Amino acid sequence: MGASYLAVGWNRQKKIYDWLIFAFCVLYLATFVVLTAIFNPDYTFETVLIRATSTLAVIILHVTLSIGPLTRINKKFLPLLYNRRHLGVSMFCIILVHGSFSILQFHSLGNVNPFVSLFTSNTHFGSLADFPFQALGFFALIIFFLMAITSHDFWLHNLSPKVWKTLHMFVYLAYFLVVMHVMLGVIQYETNPVFIIIMLIGAFTLIALHLIAGTREVNKDDVIYKLKQDGYVLVCDVKDIEEDRAKMFCLDTERIAVYKTGGKLFAVNNVCKHQNGPLGEGKVIDGCITCPWHGYQYLPQNGQSPPPFKEKVSTYDVKLEGTHVWLNPKAYAEGTERPGAVISVVNAE
Amino acid sequence: MNNEEFYIGWMGKAPKSFAAWIRKYLIVLLPVIIVLGVLLALSQKKFGTGTFEFGTLTEVKGIYFNKPVPTIKVVDGKDIWGNENYITVPLIGFGKHGADGVIADLEKEKNISFEGKEITLKGTLLYNDGKLLMQVDANDKPLVNVSGANINSVGLQKIKELGIIDVKGEIVDPKCFFGVMKPGEGKPHKDCAIRCILGGMPPVLKVTDEKGNQNYYLIVGANGEKMNEAVQDYVATPVEINARAVAYGDWVVLYVHPNGLQHYSYIREHFSTSIASCMAACIK
Repeated sequence: MGASYLAVGWNRQKKIYDWLIFAFCVLYLATFVVLTAIFNPDYTFETVLIRATSTLAVIILHVTLSIGPLTRINKKFLPLLYNRRHLGVSMFCIILVHGSFSILQFHSLGNVNPFVSLFTSNTHFGSLADFPFQALGFFALIIFFLMAITSHDFWLHNLSPKVWKTLHMFVYLAYFLVVMHVMLGVIQYETNPVFIIIMLIGAFTLIALHLIAGTREVNKDDVIYKLKQDGYVLVCDVKDIEEDRAKMFCLDTERIAVYKTGGKLFAVNNVCKHQNGPLGEGKVIDGCITCPWHGYQYLPQNGQSPPPFKEKVSTYDVKLEGTHVWLNPKAYAEGTERPGAVISVVNAE
Repeated sequence: MNNEEFYIGWMGKAPKSFAAWIRKYLIVLLPVIIVLGVLLALSQKKFGTGTFEFGTLTEVKGIYFNKPVPTIKVVDGKDIWGNENYITVPLIGFGKHGADGVIADLEKEKNISFEGKEITLKGTLLYNDGKLLMQVDANDKPLVNVSGANINSVGLQKIKELGIIDVKGEIVDPKCFFGVMKPGEGKPHKDCAIRCILGGMPPVLKVTDEKGNQNYYLIVGANGEKMNEAVQDYVATPVEINARAVAYGDWVVLYVHPNGLQHYSYIREHFSTSIASCMAACIK
């Protein structure tokens, strides 16, 4: 988290992350190219480059898309999530090499502009066998391009988190386009079933991970809190919440995090303003609620990021009766100071 | 998870348990990446054996013919009776273009027709599976020499009527297929083949027999007219052709009858009757 924009706020973790991406990419490319050269001596450089980059990009895409649900399932994956955009931008650079060389190879030096050629050479849009699969890859490339150039927090703040997140959710459309690009393209040429098997395993793994993570989220949201009085809902016992940690409750479709810190309970909206991270899974550090995804911070009593930051989340009333925690789901305006509920010594024990 | 352990990306170091978990993940990921690289590399179809002598210019002397497609007939030794053998070298242009434009410009520059004349051309050779082609590029100043007088070319084309034939195969562009691209056929190459053919490259029908041997036919219209635009929808997909076959020495040219070019479906040909009878039985 920084108060001013840097191209990349390098730290040790980021450097390790990027070096690992680089090392894995080099390892894969070297394996693919060397084996192709040995076992396919009639290879051409362009084709090997196109194939090596395309297969690597598809692998990185699967790894990138799996990080989200893996982190929802096990928080130990958070280090992969924090710099996920580096993985995405790396993938885009690799796809750009694939796309550029493909357009150069298949569409340049013809009687029309290469981009006109891309959309006018094969126009069998109504046929699965003849479908112009390259157009699908081109549209996926455009989505990845938009995601890569807006990956910096500068764009997140200027586009607004909602627009930014919506734009970046198009990665799932891009993934679908990539799968169809492969299935309607090279898989119709190659005779070895390995390609289709790998593609199917990848797709099913991603779908399964998303379903597992999604089901867990839904189960959390579906907990019904029956006891209600004066607008308050009985949500848990105070001992259920660890010090400087929170529990998340979904009331009236609103996710609220109740934090225990400094002898008090505070309730704030669960959704981080940065990238919709789960504040309820964060921790109070230096007196601030710290988002587990990217470390954005908020003061528990008013939901405001400490100056000079300007992010704000809604706050809620919370009260204690005995050891019972009662939460009022009516949100106060973002950044509204609330007194919190004092935990007496007896309750805390 | 220990309450003290909390991961924050902007801090210099990850907590020990997080770092240990990621190390385990990477140890699993590493062999997965290597195995995928090995599997994908070894599962590719064999690359074709075609050669494109990129960057090497070769001078070829022969008799030029414009029809049915631009070619030069090159002497290739003599038969047992002492008659000269010729091989036919179709000409193609730079990039995704035919050779017609280059030849027409050269004829205009010299103010003569090359038809039936002995010419020496400089260009880039490409060859595969017994077929030789030559790329002529205006930037290479391809015309080395042209004889003033017509050669007695009667009989040189060795034209032989082979009758009406029906063949099944795939339409490819000869430049990519015989050397420039690997693969120069099939779905991945479809757009490129279409662009090459629309750019003037003579379409070629690749026919694979039951033994896996391949034969190649140049395709023109019933009256020898170009079919480049007419074949656009049929490139890199199974087709069947009904045509008059004429051998021009070592190349066979198909003069495709009107409506003689159709999409071909193995399933439709072999199972349509069964499917129809099955459906009829079901309806009944």
